[in-house]
Amino acid sequence: MNEKQIQWSVGVLGALGVATVILLHWMVFFWVPTEATMGVVQRIFYIHVPAWWIAFVGFGLVGLCSAVYLWLGDERLDRAAVAGAEAGMVFTTIGLLTGPLWGRVAWGTWWEWEPRLTSALILWFIYLGYFLVRRSTANPEQGKKFAAVIGIIGVLDIPLIHVSVTWLRSLHPQAVILSAENPMNLDGSMGATIGVGLLAFSLIFASLFLARYAVAGYERELDLRDARLVGAQAVEA
Amino acid sequence: MRAYLALVWAVTRKDLLVEFRTYERLTAMGAFAVLVGVLFNFSIDTAVVRPQDIAAALIWMTIIFGGMLGMGRTFRLEEEDGALAGILQSPIPLHALYLGKVLGNFILLSAMATLVFFVFGLFFRLSFSGNPVVLVAIVGLGVLGFVSLTTLFSAMATRSSMGESLLPVLVFPLLVPVVVYGATATDRLFAGRPVVEVGGNLRMLAAFAIIFTVAGAGLFRFVIEE
Amino acid sequence: MDQKRVSRWTTAFMLGVLLVQASPVWAQAGTALGEQTLGRPYWHVFAAYAIVWILVGGWIFSIVRRLRRVEERLGNE
Repeated sequence: MNEKQIQWSVGVLGALGVATVILLHWMVFFWVPTEATMGVVQRIFYIHVPAWWIAFVGFGLVGLCSAVYLWLGDERLDRAAVAGAEAGMVFTTIGLLTGPLWGRVAWGTWWEWEPRLTSALILWFIYLGYFLVRRSTANPEQGKKFAAVIGIIGVLDIPLIHVSVTWLRSLHPQAVILSAENPMNLDGSMGATIGVGLLAFSLIFASLFLARYAVAGYERELDLRDARLVGAQAVEA
Repeated sequence: MRAYLALVWAVTRKDLLVEFRTYERLTAMGAFAVLVGVLFNFSIDTAVVRPQDIAAALIWMTIIFGGMLGMGRTFRLEEEDGALAGILQSPIPLHALYLGKVLGNFILLSAMATLVFFVFGLFFRLSFSGNPVVLVAIVGLGVLGFVSLTTLFSAMATRSSMGESLLPVLVFPLLVPVVVYGATATDRLFAGRPVVEVGGNLRMLAAFAIIFTVAGAGLFRFVIEE
Repeated sequence: MDQKRVSRWTTAFMLGVLLVQASPVWAQAGTALGEQTLGRPYWHVFAAYAIVWILVGGWIFSIVRRLRRVEERLGNE
């Protein structure tokens, strides 16, 4: 994709995203009925689930792009990985903050070692490691390689982590909590609202992902240009 | 194949020889194990909590924290003396170097784990009614998984400005399956439960160890090359 | 100057949306229905949506900041 195409895509996807977000807000606050068992707080569901969806898409992107980046060495894959990681970080944080807001009313406690929330917390720290390691090297190229290694290891580990956490949880059946984990009778309008939520978040993600990817590209070009200037000056000197 | 294993063993042997000259890492890890046992003793009110109930958890956390102490220095020698450049120029395949380091660390950490079990058994009067072979297998596989991840990340930490303080932040989230399966299995074995109940844990720990030893071997060259 | 206006308008717009979300609360506050259905859960929902706006907005802001730095560097050419 060349620059013009990217700018155009960012704009179009962004505009569509904003429109869908507005539609989502109208549906959530003025249209969809309140769910019977959980009440008003269930409306958090319509952003909580899409947030997880994007968090995992971002995470998958990081893993995939990191693996191919190490294999092929193409800089653009690292840029895609970083953009995916930032998206993943943002949406994992959203999930981690909205989950307890829901849980406090639905389950009575702010935090519950529920498998998805637990895996998400660990995922957040893996993302943190990705960014810490990127910045911690003297040589930025090495930082990118290190981050890619973390991306790959993370993708390999997260399924194991989720399985282990779910298994541990299943050892102590807690009837009240478990029923809250599989809550809803989704009727048609709720299904439609969730669909719109997923679409809205996906559009916003796509737009911002491309924007971040493009900006990373500009930064890279400027870095290369600066490096060449320094090299040229050194030759002249 | 035999030549490859000989290479791996050469790396391990070198590291172990260096360690046995100074006992630096072993001393640090060993003293840590004993002192943590002492501190735990002071931190548990035995009128309210039975140490036997939480022994497995304490043991595994001590092994992990103490392991971090020792593992962080895996590549320090190479980095300090600039030996790394020399190793990179030698014909040794990098995954063999990695496996050699992993094996060395595994031996050291297994020694520490043994000490931890012994010390905690003594301090908290733990009685063991399970199958010792299975316990050794559980701890061994858990330690292998731990070591394979930590060795890879230790190479990264050595070459970054944040150094060893970065290591726990990177590794702890990834170790959750080891802690979950290892500690629950240890709990069950201490309680004398039948070995069958621990079979699943063994399989998961083995899977973890295999996956991350292979992944580490494959990814090591990206971490060590300039 | 132009960028400052854009960011001020954007912030105003976002605040406007947040307040619109809360409008059913104001509308129902005095009524009998309000007594039953409002209160804590509604504020949780409101906070959750606000969090989404703030975090996504924060990401947008960081991307825009990077872009501005790139433009500055281009300007120094």
